[in-house]
Amino acid sequence: MSTEVESYKIQKMVELLAPKLTRQVVGSLVGCVHCGMCHETCHYVMTHPDDPKMTPSYKADQLRKLFKRHYDWTGRVFPGWVGAKPPTRDVDLDELKDIAFGTCTNCRRCTFNCPMGVDTATLNRIMRGLLTQVGVMPEGVRVVSKDTWELGNQMGVLKEDYVETLEWLSEELVMELDDERATIPIDKVGANIVYTINPREVKYDPRTISEAALIFYAAAEDWTMPSWGWDQTNFGLFSGDDAMGAASYRHLQEKNAELGSQRLVISECGHGYRSTRCEGPNWSKTDQDFVMESSVMTMLRYIKEGRIVVDKTKNSDPVTFHDSCNNARSCGFYEEPRELLKLVCTDFQEMYPNRTENYCCTGGGGAMSMSEYTPRRLVSAKVKADQIAETGAKVVVTSCHNCVDGLGDLIRHYKLDCQVKQLVHLVANALVLEECAISKIPKEKPVPEPVPEPVQEPVVIPVEIPADRVKIADALSGRRILIVEDEEDTRIFLATLLQDAGAVTLEAVDGDEAIATARAEKPDLITLDLSMPGKDGVEAFIEIRNDPDIRDIPVCIVTGHPEFRKVIYDRPVRPPEGYMDKPVIEEDLVANLRRILETSRAEGS
Amino acid sequence: MVVKKIGDKVIRLVMGDITDLEVAAFVYDITADAKLGSGYGSAITTRGGKVVQEELDAIGSCPTGEAITTTAGKLKAGRIIHVNGPKFHEPGTEDKLRQTTVAALQLAEKNGITQLAFPPVGTGLYQVPLAVCARVMIDTVAEHLANNSSVEEVIFVALDTREFEPLAAVLQGGA
Ligand code: SF4
Ligand code: SF4
Repeated sequence: MSTEVESYKIQKMVELLAPKLTRQVVGSLVGCVHCGMCHETCHYVMTHPDDPKMTPSYKADQLRKLFKRHYDWTGRVFPGWVGAKPPTRDVDLDELKDIAFGTCTNCRRCTFNCPMGVDTATLNRIMRGLLTQVGVMPEGVRVVSKDTWELGNQMGVLKEDYVETLEWLSEELVMELDDERATIPIDKVGANIVYTINPREVKYDPRTISEAALIFYAAAEDWTMPSWGWDQTNFGLFSGDDAMGAASYRHLQEKNAELGSQRLVISECGHGYRSTRCEGPNWSKTDQDFVMESSVMTMLRYIKEGRIVVDKTKNSDPVTFHDSCNNARSCGFYEEPRELLKLVCTDFQEMYPNRTENYCCTGGGGAMSMSEYTPRRLVSAKVKADQIAETGAKVVVTSCHNCVDGLGDLIRHYKLDCQVKQLVHLVANALVLEECAISKIPKEKPVPEPVPEPVQEPVVIPVEIPADRVKIADALSGRRILIVEDEEDTRIFLATLLQDAGAVTLEAVDGDEAIATARAEKPDLITLDLSMPGKDGVEAFIEIRNDPDIRDIPVCIVTGHPEFRKVIYDRPVRPPEGYMDKPVIEEDLVANLRRILETSRAEGS
Repeated sequence: MVVKKIGDKVIRLVMGDITDLEVAAFVYDITADAKLGSGYGSAITTRGGKVVQEELDAIGSCPTGEAITTTAGKLKAGRIIHVNGPKFHEPGTEDKLRQTTVAALQLAEKNGITQLAFPPVGTGLYQVPLAVCARVMIDTVAEHLANNSSVEEVIFVALDTREFEPLAAVLQGGA
């Protein structure tokens, strides 16, 4: 080891690099001829054309310098020849952190455009891994990594909260379909399929779980959700920590074996699919003796086998498809989603370029959890925004939860007139239940309820409710909800919607008024817009959480701005119970608020 | 469960979530600023309430290798002993881990706690290899229990089989 390295952490990084120097890694370290062919393929370069630090080769050179100075003989003997001036001091670490985490989403687009086969994304991931091993990382990465290590999922969902949410969703579905067979089975031994999800679903977007459950029900599938080992995402892919990647994968693998299932289905998530299906067995150095597939394959199979029947005319908006980088470039998984999409919508059009040449959503590589880099991320998202705008589509479909968030942020930032959906939503929406497999299996005859003694019928005054409002009406009956929103039109819209659902609404137009009203009225729930004049919504949220009188009131953030991710990932205080993107979809908002009211709990309860 | 007897004292190894354990006290590996943070820290806050962090704020900090104690709010445990174990390959990892383990046991004794649960301190995010942690912590605990400690039972709590196996190997290996 060189004595000129002053920083203990950098000395450690050099030591920790040794076992990572596989033949492929060394090939990428020595293979770059700095030809520049990859430069124009990177969304950071395209949006920062005058900044040489955005080029893929500059980013990879950071690791290259460590390698050349400490491992490559030419660099060790003649450092000047190879330009190997590596970082030596602690202060250099911050810059390395900003480069590795803040200027690359590890999307691998440059990798596909390098004539020398240099895999810059892999080198960048190794740099991230070295940094996290010595404790240098963005706050969001630290928070999420600790959750992953200690609670087994990357959003810190406690087991009882996870199970309670599933049970709640299950009851809702059974009630809606009036069929006990629509129950979401938990830990069912011997089921054909074990269905694993992204924690974002159970925490903030449970609709995707209900939709998947509806599809399994329609296909009359024998399936289950595990009570542990259910997080198919893997933050180790982003942080570069292979040991964490292995630990997360083992949870799924072991639980799947315990349940005796032969098929693990991974809900739509690009990095989850790559980590579980492709990287997990390598990281954990274990054999794989069961089938792993994306839920896209499962849904496609159900249609092909006639187990579910769909009517594509139910999805008639113009649709385009965004390839997740991990699915397309790292797993070669891009034809099946298109095949499925064409079966469930009437107007599909490609965006260009696509498949392995598609541009990153800019939310990949863990970028959503690193709020300090949000401004740069949104600048780099211009490439994707232009690509989407050109299609004229009203719906961007993607098979990835990260992409849903990344695309959602850029759609709002660049004010595009479209929304993001996943295939599960389109398939569930297109189902013709009465022709699906479940309809061919007779319901077991319910045991007749004992006939109760006739009682005095209460007088019921019939109220006319339009058909599309039947599900919404009374969903929030009697609940007191504080709506915090500065735009009058939106405030009136939200108030009318929530009142229609039976809620009693209170209103506030800025952060100060929100806090004062919450203190005075102690509502059951607060919906909070984050972009308001005066006290910023993030500040107001933190103040609410720090006030012992009101900190237990559940909060649903309803925002058009990406800065709210700071409170979800950096977690200066307990995160919000829910968040919704604007413009809100009426039914989703009401369903989400209901879930929050019925499943959230006060601290320490 | 794996059990090892040290005279009339006992070391047990179980699998589960340490913050959900019914035990006289458990150990939490905290940072120097005495902030609970995420992971087990957020489980403590969510299940136990804000009181734990409030008590920690009043104490203010926890230097490496030392231990401090708080109540456990609404958790099933009676108390929490917070230790600041070695982190991120810092120099002298094994010595610091030994020192941290002893500090937790001594603070338990001082507070009349006879049953104490440990996670594998310093592993996971903080990068101490599980095999090293298992060897150092179990050796240290066994030695401490054999030397007139008032702690009667130490429970190692592994989150999953990955953590369980190396701890079990050391316990069963008669270290
Ligand atoms: S990574 Fe490949 S394409 Fe990019 S500069 Fe190096 S050799 Fe050229
Ligand atoms: S991996 Fe993607 S973001 Fe990173 S340098 Fe290459 S093209 Fe740019």
